[in-house]
Amino acid sequence: MSDLLAARAQMGTSLAFHIIFSALGVGLPLLFCIAEGLALKTKNRDWMLLTRRWSKGAAILFAIGAVSGTILSFELGLLWPTFMDFGGGVIGYPFMLEGFAFFLEAIFLGLYLYGWNRLSPRAHWLCSFPVWISALVSAWFVVSANAWMNTPTGFVLKNGRPVDIDPIQAMLNPSTPYETIHMMLACYVATGFAVAAVYAWGILRGKRDNYHRKGLMIGMLMAVIATPLQIISGDFNARFLSDAQPTKFAAMEAVFHSGNGLPITIGGLVDPDNRTVHYGIELPKLLSVLAKGDPNAPLKGLDQFAPSDWPNIPLVHLSFDVMVGCGFFGLLVAAVFWISTAIKRRIPLNRVLLWGVVIAGPLAFLAIETGWMVTELGRQPWTIVGFLRTADAATPAPWVTISFLVFSLVYILLAVALIGLLLWVARSPMPQVGMPGQEQPVEKAGV
Amino acid sequence: MDVALLALIVLWLALITYTVLGGADFGAGVLGIFTGRNAERQHEFINHALGPVWEANHVWLIFLVVGLFTLFPKGFAILCVALFFPLLLALLGIVLRGAAFIFRYYAPDTSSLFANVWWKVFNIASVLTPFFLGASAAAVASGHLLDPSGKPNAANVSPWLSPFAIIIGLMGIALCTALAAVYLTVEAKDAQDAFLCESYRKKALIAGAVTAVLGLLGLLLSPIYAPGLWRGMLGHGIPLVIVSMLLGLLTAALLWLKQYRLSRLAVIVATAFLLSAWGFSQYPYLVPPALTVSAAANEPNVIKVVLISVLIGLIILLPSLYYLYSIFKLPYPAPGRVTQPEGHRKSDGA
Repeated sequence: MSDLLAARAQMGTSLAFHIIFSALGVGLPLLFCIAEGLALKTKNRDWMLLTRRWSKGAAILFAIGAVSGTILSFELGLLWPTFMDFGGGVIGYPFMLEGFAFFLEAIFLGLYLYGWNRLSPRAHWLCSFPVWISALVSAWFVVSANAWMNTPTGFVLKNGRPVDIDPIQAMLNPSTPYETIHMMLACYVATGFAVAAVYAWGILRGKRDNYHRKGLMIGMLMAVIATPLQIISGDFNARFLSDAQPTKFAAMEAVFHSGNGLPITIGGLVDPDNRTVHYGIELPKLLSVLAKGDPNAPLKGLDQFAPSDWPNIPLVHLSFDVMVGCGFFGLLVAAVFWISTAIKRRIPLNRVLLWGVVIAGPLAFLAIETGWMVTELGRQPWTIVGFLRTADAATPAPWVTISFLVFSLVYILLAVALIGLLLWVARSPMPQVGMPGQEQPVEKAGV
Repeated sequence: MDVALLALIVLWLALITYTVLGGADFGAGVLGIFTGRNAERQHEFINHALGPVWEANHVWLIFLVVGLFTLFPKGFAILCVALFFPLLLALLGIVLRGAAFIFRYYAPDTSSLFANVWWKVFNIASVLTPFFLGASAAAVASGHLLDPSGKPNAANVSPWLSPFAIIIGLMGIALCTALAAVYLTVEAKDAQDAFLCESYRKKALIAGAVTAVLGLLGLLLSPIYAPGLWRGMLGHGIPLVIVSMLLGLLTAALLWLKQYRLSRLAVIVATAFLLSAWGFSQYPYLVPPALTVSAAANEPNVIKVVLISVLIGLIILLPSLYYLYSIFKLPYPAPGRVTQPEGHRKSDGA
């Protein structure tokens, strides 16, 4: 494995690992803010029990998110020193602001997770607001930095160096609104389905109590609000990319040849050497409709660009199709679930539907992973589009392959330990029930 | 004032804060090795002390990293190449420490194999991280990190594996341990645990003495391995060096007299002076002898925007931080706090 490939693999693995915890870090705090609010208002034990359960899981997940995020902040420099030398001064600013947002999150999370017995119920609940707000804001900041790598602005190139830097303009680059909203919504979609999947699984195993039904309902509620919005946001992204990053767009849709009124190609085996897609499903004129709103609109294909500027088209196209497929599967599950609820006036307990929810949980995370692969692989061969190639950004240090192997082992170790611990904690018979800390907030509710 | 210098001061303050807060968290992990009898009680005590604050303490490091690449992008890039290996090793320690702590804390059975293994990982990682961070700092201070043309070379390991760097790495471990032990005397006293209080007092005195000895040894080695630092320390840095030594002695005296709160203050100020003495001695270089602070700095207008944002950020952050510590670490009540029921320490996190 070359050192460049090792550096890319280590960065990719780190991002793929971290993104799971970031998504839950944005989504879960909003859920426990809502659930605890409901508990205080309705004085219902189930809501409080759900909140306590989630906060315990969240404490473990967030700690792993904090350390895996630290890895990334170091890796930006350790693996990509030239990128940081060039881009750090331009795009460091949103990272700095993200640092502040993360700081606030960590402070109030500490208060929230460890303050059950130290804070009054109302003060405790109020602490969840800064947590979910700053988590959302930090997602915005950090994704704006990624947006800049795709559409860099806010500086002038002079003698190979960025000068006349405007960090605020860099942060508000053209991609920022599209990418940030798509990611923020993705966090809620994934968290909603993940939480719903846990309780759907419980119900499938015979635990049909109100506690599980409430957990399923609140997860599906988050999912059904966020998923349609996410699909609309995805449409905006695709239209934006067809203008702003035509190579990425052409790679996503596997468009080799420019033309008018192009079809959309779903699936298939992409053959970049012969510039064609085998066995794909073609829907005529649909790509032109989706991208430009006109069935005969012209679109740029990869033939407009030098092959040395192409990303890995089979991977980008596959990732894109998987992301979209997962998204629509989630939409279907959420729609059937809520239509059925509306008709029967109770939470549906149909086994097939519950299995659909259980599957939608991991698929929502698969959508996040593949979505990021579209963004990151689709940007290649550039780190900063038009300014710095990935090959030139990598560290000159030796033995990057060993570093990649060691860090991969650490991720595997952490993942195994984490899953084991979460299952163990979930199986332990609700240790908090009957403890003073548990009873207190419910009884004192509304004070 | 030069805006690049102002940026450096802000980062140095973050470094000091990370050392006195985050460093102490590593020190608590080191102390976890030397529990002797009452191991379980001390584990619980350390859990209780770290649980609510370690994540907030840890953010200072992230702040430091992003601050460095925003304000001194060139400096960050060069350090990341030159210190590729020690920083990767420190990073491994940081990750394993954080993960191990939380795994052990939330294990439903703290006497299980799972909990014990992660507790060991927590201890070992707590030793490794301050060592490699200390050795990296020593490599920067040595003036031998970059080759004469100013180019960094990751394969050149001698700057961070020199006797000087190893002594400073060990001093880093000892300093973190001393900080943790001093803080824990206060917490033990507040918890009215006289046995632990006395135990931590002894450990604080021992760790402090080790820190002082290693510091002196480092200073004696510096004419050979870090001549620039030696000249700076004896030159314009000498007042800060003397003050930090005196503050170290004051900390020991206060511990001797069982003035725990005052000794906590003294050890924090001593650490601040120690780090300032290093910074001051190597100024105007960020990475001596090739890269000056002004050459590594970002454009002045970006630094201004960042510093103004930092100021605004701190206006929100500091009251929040104060609230966190007032709920968990300070004796008097803050708004929203209720009296904690006795004997339910662990249930704070349940």
